[in-house]
Amino acid sequence: MRRARLHAGIALQAQAAGNDPLEIRKIRAFPLREPGSGRRYTLVKIETRGGLAGWGECGEFTRAEFAAARDAVVGTMASAYEIAWRKLGQARAIRAAVNMAQLDVLGKLSKAPVYQVLGGPTRFKARAIARLEGPAALDRAQTAGYKAFLVPAVPTEWRNQGKAYMNRIRNLMNMMRNAAGADSDFVLDAAGAFTPGDAQSVAAELESFHMLWFDEPCGVLNLGAIRKIAGENVTPLGFGRTVGDAQGFQNLLSEDAVDLLRPDLAVHGISQIRRIAAIAEVYYVAVAPYHNGGPVATAAALHLAASLPNFFIQQVPLPGAQSDIDMRRAIAGDAIEKVTGGFLALPTGPGFGITVNEQALTRYQEAA
Amino acid sequence: MIRRHFLSGLGIAGAAGSRLPAADGCGCALAPQAAMSGPVGAAALHSVGTKVRITGVKVFGVSLTPDSDRPYVFVKIETNQGVVGWGEATLEGKAGAVIACVDDFKEFLTGADPMLVEHHWQSMYVHSFYRAGPVMGSAMSGIDQALWDIRGKLLGMPVYKLLGGPSDPAGVRGYYHVRAGTPEALQKLRDQAKSLGVTCVKTGIPLYYEWIETNTKINRAVKHMQMMRENLGPDIDIGVDFHAKTSPSVAAILIKEVEPLNLLFVEEPCPPENVKAMARIARRSTTPIATGERAVAHFSCRELIELGVIDILQCDINHVGGITALWKAGAIAEASGISMAPHACEGPIGGLATVHVDAATPNFLVQEICSGIEPETKEKVWEEWLGFPAMRMVKGKFPLPTKPGLGFDLTEDALKRYPFGGTRPMARVFHDDGSVAEW
Repeated sequence: MRRARLHAGIALQAQAAGNDPLEIRKIRAFPLREPGSGRRYTLVKIETRGGLAGWGECGEFTRAEFAAARDAVVGTMASAYEIAWRKLGQARAIRAAVNMAQLDVLGKLSKAPVYQVLGGPTRFKARAIARLEGPAALDRAQTAGYKAFLVPAVPTEWRNQGKAYMNRIRNLMNMMRNAAGADSDFVLDAAGAFTPGDAQSVAAELESFHMLWFDEPCGVLNLGAIRKIAGENVTPLGFGRTVGDAQGFQNLLSEDAVDLLRPDLAVHGISQIRRIAAIAEVYYVAVAPYHNGGPVATAAALHLAASLPNFFIQQVPLPGAQSDIDMRRAIAGDAIEKVTGGFLALPTGPGFGITVNEQALTRYQEAA
Repeated sequence: MIRRHFLSGLGIAGAAGSRLPAADGCGCALAPQAAMSGPVGAAALHSVGTKVRITGVKVFGVSLTPDSDRPYVFVKIETNQGVVGWGEATLEGKAGAVIACVDDFKEFLTGADPMLVEHHWQSMYVHSFYRAGPVMGSAMSGIDQALWDIRGKLLGMPVYKLLGGPSDPAGVRGYYHVRAGTPEALQKLRDQAKSLGVTCVKTGIPLYYEWIETNTKINRAVKHMQMMRENLGPDIDIGVDFHAKTSPSVAAILIKEVEPLNLLFVEEPCPPENVKAMARIARRSTTPIATGERAVAHFSCRELIELGVIDILQCDINHVGGITALWKAGAIAEASGISMAPHACEGPIGGLATVHVDAATPNFLVQEICSGIEPETKEKVWEEWLGFPAMRMVKGKFPLPTKPGLGFDLTEDALKRYPFGGTRPMARVFHDDGSVAEW
């Protein structure tokens, strides 16, 4: 009797499993290469029984990883993105893309932007920063609407630097600010390549320059060095592009060693960065996802940024070659990476709010 | 589709502009707000929000018996689209204060877009300035659950799907409380549990404990736990709730003595304010420690995790800050390998809301319900309200609601038979010498 009532009141999931429109039927991968920069990224498309398609993006992965991902998610519910993440432990290089694609599907199914699936927007635009690449990069970035710029550190001939290098770095940053105007902001990106001593010296040299933050000043696993830099300087430190697990970020935070978390979109996808951001929130620290991929990940980043109370800024690749810019626009449209007054607009259409042009993909696809 | 109609396109800008400083203001907060040129609050997000607007925030005290010491507090949020959401803000012993606190938040919400749940959470928490506390945490919890209920209904999906679930379509593993106290009764309970597929139960320890305890009382508590294991057998997981009745000194002894029982966890071995005190207990035993039911906001879980105190985190969806904060607490715990076993000792709305979060929590262990293996009066009332036996397990799992939102319908009329009997103090217990005891 009780059981009969139960069945009436709570429809059993087993019924849904057989013909759930959310069931993933197919997964496809499109490895791409930008003609100018040579930047590589892979788009992943999942298709559901209900006829919805979702897109995601990650870096390169192997055939074996693709097969493992296919086995793990085909036949499962697209909604179960947190569960799929754990099943994709053998296909870590692809799981960020699968995660994005699952959320794209959920948004499309609910006819709402992905940030609405995730708890609603916390902001109506997202601050943007361009990594300066190629010739006349600052001019191009300014023309494109950016007001914040990530400057790669000057490559060095020797491991350890002296006064001349400190002068060079300071002059470079001052020159940038003079050229870009007083209301422009800068980040120095050392890409983890400085020795701990150089990282400290550069951080000290630029303390009063008021960079937004000093990105990846030294290797992220060198906690002793990071603690020393953080202890000596008040320049905010950003770390995280090579950190693969949430626990790595938690360790940085509990060591008081970091001011800004930089998880890579192509590694962590949307929901893992949301989990990392929840950790960061209780340390009063913000998140600025690292991004060196294509425009689909930019779209995913915007929905993520909208959903996070402790989002700070989104890095967007700004290619030097026109052919690359054309490629990015051909894939996902003109609007998604458009910057106005230093901010990206949030998409308002269902899912990621972009239409991926599958025909254009074939033009840029890498030979398998 | 109605949904498409109000989920896309621009919303209506809400009350724009700014307020003048009040005559009794300190001037520290209103100056920057007055300087803002655009719309403030939720209205600032109109370009990325929906056209749905909150038209009413109602709060109900519900006493199953007129002298109930822990009346339920339910929150109902109404919208201009006819969609309503329900949440639970029950705070044991402080119903009146929570009802008043929900009323305090009405102005935050009325006229705003209900889809901005993270925004509303942040605004309620941050703009209250005096952060956290169980009264505010419970009020926010009720509001947050109701907003997630609305979100699921508007998006046409059960909340656990929005959160990334389900991990298991059959439901989430649960445990009942052990009411039995004799070997015979426990053996009967073991057989019942086995036939129902129930894999886990929880018990308490008898009596109340002074700062330092006698050999007699220590032995009695240890024997109680041994009796549980001996009669329930090795196949049922047993949690033991110390309910913070013990000091760190007494708890450490008890926990050490019962190490061979391989309990699933010992819960709240001391009061929760002093994390280092609990850490000291945890360091002295291999028995897993569970705590967190009195935590408000995910911020309060940081130290427990950082100091390596806990194996299991037990935040309560009706106090921690609803679905939003329980989800975040779970995410923070997961990074350190800590499991989630959310507390649920209030009404059916919070219970069901927790099940949604559990179903999308990769580090979920087991879900509580403060009920015995045999249904009691309150479960009959819950079924009368919701139309199904909420929070009763099937094959050891709480089934997942499948309807959009939190997955139930409730009417104000259904609650009318159980009017609010007012706030009543909870149990008050004292030691032999008249001094105040923890219970």
